[in-house]
Amino acid sequence: MVQINLPANSKVQKGEYYKDKTGSKNIRKVNVYRWDPSKNENPRIDTYEVDMDNCPSKVLDILNKIKNELDPSLAYRRSCAHGVCGSCAMNMNGKNGLACTKAHSELDGDINIYPLPHLKVLKDLIGDLSTLYKQYESVEPWLKTSKKNMDSENLQSVKDRAKLDGLYECIMCACCSTSCPSYWWNGDKYLGPAVLLQAYRWIIDSRDEERKERLKKVADELKLYRCHTILNCTNACPKDLNPAKAIAEIKKMLATT
Amino acid sequence: MENKNPLSPHIQIYNWHVSSLVSISHRITGIINILAITLICLWISSLFLGETNYKYTSLFLNSFFGKFLIVGIIWSFSFQILSEVRHLIMDLGYGFELKTTKITGFLVIFGSFGLTVLIYLIGRNLI
Repeated sequence: MVQINLPANSKVQKGEYYKDKTGSKNIRKVNVYRWDPSKNENPRIDTYEVDMDNCPSKVLDILNKIKNELDPSLAYRRSCAHGVCGSCAMNMNGKNGLACTKAHSELDGDINIYPLPHLKVLKDLIGDLSTLYKQYESVEPWLKTSKKNMDSENLQSVKDRAKLDGLYECIMCACCSTSCPSYWWNGDKYLGPAVLLQAYRWIIDSRDEERKERLKKVADELKLYRCHTILNCTNACPKDLNPAKAIAEIKKMLATT
Repeated sequence: MENKNPLSPHIQIYNWHVSSLVSISHRITGIINILAITLICLWISSLFLGETNYKYTSLFLNSFFGKFLIVGIIWSFSFQILSEVRHLIMDLGYGFELKTTKITGFLVIFGSFGLTVLIYLIGRNLI
């Protein structure tokens, strides 16, 4: 249900202030969401003064710098640092994105870093995505074919292959799903843009033989039609994909078949 | 077991985009329109009860608050119609590019005010 306010245990408090010790003239304030599961406290916002003269270009570099030089207790997910793994998805200045591809020069003023919205926080910037992964599993994201013991490749035409462009690139970083108000209010039932884009990726694959069953499975008031084309998903996608359009295509297929 | 971990901030911190603004306004104006239609029906029904009823209603609608209400309802209908057209086009699968959604979103917002003025002028026999 729609719950605008945060629950009492999630209200954010003011945290510690880490003053710059390098004496740099190029300082930027970075506010970071912190929550420590080992303490019985509310989440807080810690502020770090970061020396930007000695910091590479991306937001992830700022976090690395904070962790290495200012506060080693900061927890966040990161792996490839090249926008491929989707680990460092977070909310930066009010918009979801990958910290490793987002240049801090694109952000105005003080930098505010939060975990992905409306998730149960595990620690600091790490949100619990297990619901999303379960939903992903529910669309059975693998090729279903009756062909057995094939001795040649399962080919598709160039045209059919082109239909997967803009879908197969999805890295499941969850930027889109966690930007979606519908997913915030109905995340347990509505599949959300990331999973629906994946569902569409298999529905539209010419080699898949269970298109009808797949369509039938997502054709549900809550699973699919909670999408009200708010388009926060497309706005958030760090890979410039269009989950909103993929969902619209599923709706269109259901309306026309 | 109940999960006692905190919920990360959502609507409190998320930026508004043109598209999300149009979407929520579409919902709100939809509710306003339902109420407005009900009120208009009640108003027309009250005419059956005689002239005095009509006079009271007309006095109310000609007051400042009444006029504000009328213009508000005109805007609400204008917004709903334009936004609905946008949704219909999207249902056909068009207009999902980020730039297009921004342009059509602005068209709906500014268009709703333009349409309000237009309907008001036509209603007042000024054009």
